[in-house]
Amino acid sequence: MTRRVQITKGILWFITGLAAAVTIIRFTRGLGTTTALSDTTPWGLWVGFDVMGGVALAAGGFVIGAIAHVFKRDKYHHAVRPAILTALLGYAAVAVGLLFDLGLPWNIWHALIFWNPQSPLFEVAWCVMIYLTILFLEFLPVFLERTRFQALYRILLRMQLPLIILGISVSTLHQSSLGTLLLIMPFRLHPLWYTPHLPELFFVSAICLGLSMVIFESSVTAWLYKRKPNTDMLSGLARFAAGALALYLAFRLFDLWHHDKIGLAFEGSFEARLFWFEMGLSTIVPLVLFLIPKVRRSHTGVFIASSMGLMGFLLYRIDASGLAQVWATRTDYFPMWTEFAVSFGIVSFFALIYLFIQEHFPVEHEILDEEEKWRQRQLFVLPRFDRLTQVWLGDPTFASRRVYSLVFVVALVLGLTSTPWQPLVEASPVQRARGGDILKVGFPIGTVAFPHAEHVKRLGKEACGTCHHLHLPGDVGTPCSECHSDLYLPTRLFDHFRHVGLLGENASCERCHPKEGPRIGVTAKKCSSCHEKDMMAENQVVKTFEYLTAPGLSQAAHGICIECHKREATNPEWGKPDLFRCATCHRTPVSHGDVVLEASLEEIEDEVLQ
Amino acid sequence: MIDNPCILNDVTRCIGCEECVAACKKINGMPVEDGPPRLGHSKDGLSATRWTSIFRRPDEVSVRKQCRHCFEPACVSVCPVGALIKTPEGPVIYDKAICMGCRYCMMGCPYGIPHYEWNSINPSVRKCILCYDKLKSGEIDKPACVNACPKEATTFGSQEEMLAEARRRLAAEPEKYIQHIWGEHEVGGTSVIYISHVDLGFLAWQDKKYLGTEPLPDRTWAALKKVPLEFLGMASFMTATWWVIDRRMRLAAEAPGEKVTEAPETTEDEGGER
Repeated sequence: MTRRVQITKGILWFITGLAAAVTIIRFTRGLGTTTALSDTTPWGLWVGFDVMGGVALAAGGFVIGAIAHVFKRDKYHHAVRPAILTALLGYAAVAVGLLFDLGLPWNIWHALIFWNPQSPLFEVAWCVMIYLTILFLEFLPVFLERTRFQALYRILLRMQLPLIILGISVSTLHQSSLGTLLLIMPFRLHPLWYTPHLPELFFVSAICLGLSMVIFESSVTAWLYKRKPNTDMLSGLARFAAGALALYLAFRLFDLWHHDKIGLAFEGSFEARLFWFEMGLSTIVPLVLFLIPKVRRSHTGVFIASSMGLMGFLLYRIDASGLAQVWATRTDYFPMWTEFAVSFGIVSFFALIYLFIQEHFPVEHEILDEEEKWRQRQLFVLPRFDRLTQVWLGDPTFASRRVYSLVFVVALVLGLTSTPWQPLVEASPVQRARGGDILKVGFPIGTVAFPHAEHVKRLGKEACGTCHHLHLPGDVGTPCSECHSDLYLPTRLFDHFRHVGLLGENASCERCHPKEGPRIGVTAKKCSSCHEKDMMAENQVVKTFEYLTAPGLSQAAHGICIECHKREATNPEWGKPDLFRCATCHRTPVSHGDVVLEASLEEIEDEVLQ
Repeated sequence: MIDNPCILNDVTRCIGCEECVAACKKINGMPVEDGPPRLGHSKDGLSATRWTSIFRRPDEVSVRKQCRHCFEPACVSVCPVGALIKTPEGPVIYDKAICMGCRYCMMGCPYGIPHYEWNSINPSVRKCILCYDKLKSGEIDKPACVNACPKEATTFGSQEEMLAEARRRLAAEPEKYIQHIWGEHEVGGTSVIYISHVDLGFLAWQDKKYLGTEPLPDRTWAALKKVPLEFLGMASFMTATWWVIDRRMRLAAEAPGEKVTEAPETTEDEGGER
């Protein structure tokens, strides 16, 4: 095991740890907390990257299978096992990704018994399940090769060719059906992406992505295990990739031309720029690079070209399943970091499994032999003793496992502490509501008209507490918005930090909290015990402050103002303004989306003064 | 319950009082107050707890939005497990017990109707079901929203009756209305139809484009019906290719002195085959 492998594994464990933290929150708090998905963007990164991209990333399995076994290009035999392993793990990753994305993941098996053959997703689900089984059977010989189950091993080897042909056929179906998925969305998907030929385009792009992935992966493993890359094979694969990319480019451009949509690509819109960026990254630049013989023979060259292709085609999937739909939904969506953590975490986790299998089973014989030699050597290495902690660290394998565990736990804790526990809502701070007699002054749209004097006159001075119920220190004529400072979210009222600072930092706890017992809000002294002078004395209506949070303005207004106006509605004198008629305050949409408090001054004034 | 139930919405009559919204919330047992809106919520006001909403448009135009109960619903066709069901009577309903939560229905609906309970850990897809269960059991004779409307801006009857009524209104006051019945033919026809004095394209995604009369499921079906053929085609093409190449290589190996020929160059990639 080289140093590179160790560091890479450490990084992969870190990302996995972050994902593990998000996993806990995803399955205890729901999709709303861990994703930025919404009713306008029900599919996000987890579908675009994990499912649409993941399935295509794993396409290398069937492409290499076809090249090596059906077309009998023997020099690619080396690439078959790693490619099938990638495919197997890739599909497993897709299944895991789906568990995250599905709202009701425990019902995933419903795809087996409830059938709707009309649905492209039904077709994809079945093909993926079948193909996962095929891949497992294709890969099983690798597990069995050095065991005593030689009879089974030989049977499986003989089944290899039929399995590969079956796998190619099943892949053709679901790779193209991923495109079919989007055919139902002609009104969401931008015309630069939407075409009746989406299934075919998705199939060809899967071949491009699969080949890029095989090139990428074998150059990365070569680098990791410090092996000489198989330049002959890589350049051959690069030639295939160039062919596939050329076909894809021609197909995509012909399709645009055929449907008379070429003009849209030169519109200068966001989508047009996205289109060219995607085409450049996925097809044009890698194609040019792969066409240069010098690049094809260079390790770095194929690595760069294939990783560009990789990112480009992943972007194609993400565009088609989301980014190119913003145009219709007119709602931005950017994944939360938790979504990235899960997506990359799944990839990292499966990359770790990939490395484990590479190091313990004959996927590529050179790597396994090298690893076994290394493991043999470790038997004779003395366990390391750490003087500082007075601990035997064990042999290097064991020591590195300890480091990975530590990295994982650190990432887990980091993830748990920084993941949001509350769902994303649109924070909508209200504009300051005016206290006092604002009816006399003109006021900007967006403020709430509240005739304070009118209320005092009618309710009597004793009634202050009805509204000034929070009874904050210095609360004499606080406008509603002082505490209800968000339209929807509760506001924290008590500034603990400020109190700690003013009272003398850590030494001051006991000035409010009891010596024994928990130091929490409930056990703390009442505010009035210190703020006696600047708080009203407790009386029938004015209660001593016992709240730590104030509800959002919307709730407060609907809960207090409207309730009271409703009660008093029968009183001919007091019934105005008609607050239980929504339109009194909400002149524009009352629907919860765009609440705009646009109380028309003149109207309320008229009603009040009538 | 009548066959082909249909709601006719007359935009010119709607005053935007939201009585329909309140009635809908009441009959379906949903909270009166919606929670805080989620980032990226629908601009039309629909949510998992608001299955019908008044979509406010410029110039004080109020348009009631709800599920259209299409004749050939995209949501029903795309659901991989069939959790959305087009009932024989007409309304499109949802079965939570079957749903997996893939949200493909939300992506497929051209009107953006199904909404999701994002903050639940056991979430459902929510949308108008045209009061199906209560209409069927005879508890009510028309949907709660229609019952609540004080201006008869929304009326209920069979599809034929409602279309006739819409045509009658269009003919009676031709200068008041745009001479078009929204939902009569769009995406194969819907059970909720509109007549209006403003263009109602905005009810669907991408409001500039006319939806067309072709039912959306036809588009995916056109590709899906080829699946068995594709499978057999690809399998036999691959087998045939293997057989030809294998045979050629064996013959080449048997003939001494001849060089083993490489596979033909037709095999650059399989994409060309389709």
